[in-house]
Amino acid sequence: MTLKIPRYDINREPFMTQTPDFNRKSQLLQTERTYKARINAAIQLTPEEKLFQIQILDPKERAQFSCLPGQFVMVELPGCGEIAISISGSCSNHEFIEICIRKVGKVTGMIHRLEAGAMVGIRGPFGTHFPMREMNGSNVLLIAGGLGIVPLRSSIYWVNEHRPDYKDVTILYGARTPKLLLFDYQYEEWRKVFNLTMHTIVEEPDENWTGPVGLITQLFDQVPIDPDDTFAIVCGPPVMFKFVCDHLSALGLPMQRMFVSLERRMHCGMGKCCRCNVGSTFTCLDGPVFDYWSVMNLQEAI
Amino acid sequence: MLYKTITKENFRRMIEGLMEDNDVFGPKWRDRDKNGDKVYRFLKLNDFDELQMDYTRTYSSPKNFFIPFKETLSTYDLAETEWDQQIRYTVHPRVIVGMRACDINALRKLDEVMVKSAFPNPYYFARRRNTVIIGLDHEPLEDCFCRSVNADVVFKGFDLFLTDIGAKYFVAIGSDTGYRIVDRFGGEEVSEADQDAFKSMKKRIESKFKTQVDVTIVPELMDLEFESEVWERWGDKCMSCGSCAMVCPTCYCYGVEEDVDLSFTHAAKQRFLYSCNLIDFAMVAGDHNFRPEPHIRLKYRYYHQFRGFVEAFNQSLCVGCNRCGVACLAGISPKAVIDDLNETEQR
Amino acid sequence: MKYLGIELPKPKVAVFGFTGCEGCQLQLANNEQNLKDLFELVEVVDFRLISSDKLGGYDIAFVEGSITTDSDVEALKAIRAQAKLLVATGACACLGGVNNLRERFPLPDAVAEVYGEHKIESGQVRRVADVVPADIELPGCPISKLEFEWLVRQLVMGVEPQFPRYPVCVECKQRINTCVMDMGILCLGPITRAGCNAVCPRNRAGCWGCRGPSEEANYESLVEILREHGFSEAHIAERVSFFNAFSGNQVLPVLE
Repeated sequence: MTLKIPRYDINREPFMTQTPDFNRKSQLLQTERTYKARINAAIQLTPEEKLFQIQILDPKERAQFSCLPGQFVMVELPGCGEIAISISGSCSNHEFIEICIRKVGKVTGMIHRLEAGAMVGIRGPFGTHFPMREMNGSNVLLIAGGLGIVPLRSSIYWVNEHRPDYKDVTILYGARTPKLLLFDYQYEEWRKVFNLTMHTIVEEPDENWTGPVGLITQLFDQVPIDPDDTFAIVCGPPVMFKFVCDHLSALGLPMQRMFVSLERRMHCGMGKCCRCNVGSTFTCLDGPVFDYWSVMNLQEAI
Repeated sequence: MLYKTITKENFRRMIEGLMEDNDVFGPKWRDRDKNGDKVYRFLKLNDFDELQMDYTRTYSSPKNFFIPFKETLSTYDLAETEWDQQIRYTVHPRVIVGMRACDINALRKLDEVMVKSAFPNPYYFARRRNTVIIGLDHEPLEDCFCRSVNADVVFKGFDLFLTDIGAKYFVAIGSDTGYRIVDRFGGEEVSEADQDAFKSMKKRIESKFKTQVDVTIVPELMDLEFESEVWERWGDKCMSCGSCAMVCPTCYCYGVEEDVDLSFTHAAKQRFLYSCNLIDFAMVAGDHNFRPEPHIRLKYRYYHQFRGFVEAFNQSLCVGCNRCGVACLAGISPKAVIDDLNETEQR
Repeated sequence: MKYLGIELPKPKVAVFGFTGCEGCQLQLANNEQNLKDLFELVEVVDFRLISSDKLGGYDIAFVEGSITTDSDVEALKAIRAQAKLLVATGACACLGGVNNLRERFPLPDAVAEVYGEHKIESGQVRRVADVVPADIELPGCPISKLEFEWLVRQLVMGVEPQFPRYPVCVECKQRINTCVMDMGILCLGPITRAGCNAVCPRNRAGCWGCRGPSEEANYESLVEILREHGFSEAHIAERVSFFNAFSGNQVLPVLE
């Protein structure tokens, strides 16, 4: 007497032939399937930072890809590795995605060597987003330190695309040196066309710098803040957003109206690998965007 | 749930019958330790007599049948600037005999993460669906504390679950496949005598628990005693070797690496089991380490097991098998650490 | 060679052997089925084991063996001056290795024991890094050909190679080995850099530390454990000094 255990062949399920939609998190997806994307333009912003404009090749996949400011994608160079990168461009642009990559390790170093025409793999979008719609009808403070302008930039685009929904919108941006202020070619447009107020500050000025010098919190003197009617998005290194948020807290801004984006090591983007896990919180699923109250309650976040 | 009984002769026929057409795995005697005690491991059975139904515990958990230590997620054929990506899920059916309640409960916890949460994991799901589990009750060992974390009994997650009642096994049937197996190999209706025997065996098991770990306020202690010297005390002993996480039936943290072959024409993306105790677990590019010290990493392992998972799923991740305690050369066990933590609270 | 649109340079490679058994050099020439691909990636200009060519002008030098004579020192300095990248290859080059056992005896006694009346030039056993800076240390006794191939890929890609920082136990547990310490066998796995796939514990030999220390190895804890397991100071000292892998720390027992 024998009994053969029936085989369940998952490889014959419909999802195997479908384009994975990473916004449908509860469905069975080919979680490792990447969209092939061509680099339309690779722009060297600084010696360390490069902006890539990429287009998902397959029209069906491209049409399906839909993201919100603050979310990230996993960018892969097959055989080299995969990294989590925030979306830096406009989320209403369904033709191409903009990502800005700092050269720090193996994968980012290799991606920096890619020129226009080369390809990368994309999975996503993943993670939480800045609650832009919740901010309707209020003043918005967009505060960035250093590379923090990268995830913040997609919310700048959002604000422009929905400008009548918001009252005063102010960008405060600080960097170590004037040369490290990213996207400086766009500031004029942000001020004049997007109708935003923008202040920049650097810690180490060069001979051409005429603006203020010091830490980003110094810019608060120039900005009237109505704590009862303002939302803030703060992106930057942990020391920076802690200082800024504490400052805003002192001005009376509720912690649940301040949003920060955390950076942690991620290997999957899907709440499985635990590399970004802190207790029950997964930076990739519950973040990267958190309100400041949640961050305060995270052991080890700052 | 349906219950049957099966005689030990018929159980033998059942395993031999399953071995005919399927890969069957079970606890086998592999080594002897320096005290002369047998060390067991889940291995493929070639003969019924290799199956050690009286085994104590396997040194490593059967987790690797569902989450292999190393697994290829996808492969690529590389061209000049293009590539072709291949993804295939392993679906080879197999049977595992002799898994303990704690190990099955461990799978149920992994199911929560891997199947029932956001982004169900098809690799895990395919293996889980293609594995028939025949569980086995046992008298608790000296250091089993599954009862303290409610993992000593199991009602789901298996196909069959056996309790030794002398000449027969009392069989809980957890699936259609399980039902067909018992039916095919001579399962019998449960008699009143069988039921009595089952009851007294269960009583006996319950009475044999020796180790208790008081986890009542451990989730809170993980926050309240976050800065406690308890962590440094145990962290100083920790060699950050990851053995605990490797043998653990529930630790599932992993890393992903990609590599290309020497001809740069084929590439693979691989997932490999990692441990939050390893030095570079939370290291980011540029070598910044979010968790630079052993005691901090050790603390986070406990934080995930006894606080984070509780918050997310209302149960601890730990199932009380104490494999980590056995594997740890430095003598770091959940019992020792949590007792220490509880005492700190009393002081 | 192009990799996804990225031009990969084809570096010129040389292999040199000093005091050692040449086992690591042999490993470099092993895995024949991959040699064709290897030679597509790098141009071998000087490697005595496979060719009598001595073309020079190399970018990468793989240096095997420990450094024991004055002429070796001069030769190594010349290699360093030429090579853009110097890879100390194998335990002898990285640690001193087995050769270091000779340091336990007065030099003349050791020479006389082996060579009798015959005169040879010999001196203190040194690591490559004791003489010139090594850019990369490829560990192991012998090195693993697979790891070497991986290293070549990293170098050709221009990527800084990241060897495992964690200890051997990880790989040992992943092979589901019974811990040899539980079987009464002394093992340095918890303080030794992984990457060998735990080949010695797998074969119930215990780890001898040929790959050098893992990062931030916890010597205090291991020594305490070894003592608790009943291993004598002499036994522990003998083992930790075998490859000279742990010299310089103040915790592990040293030979009398």
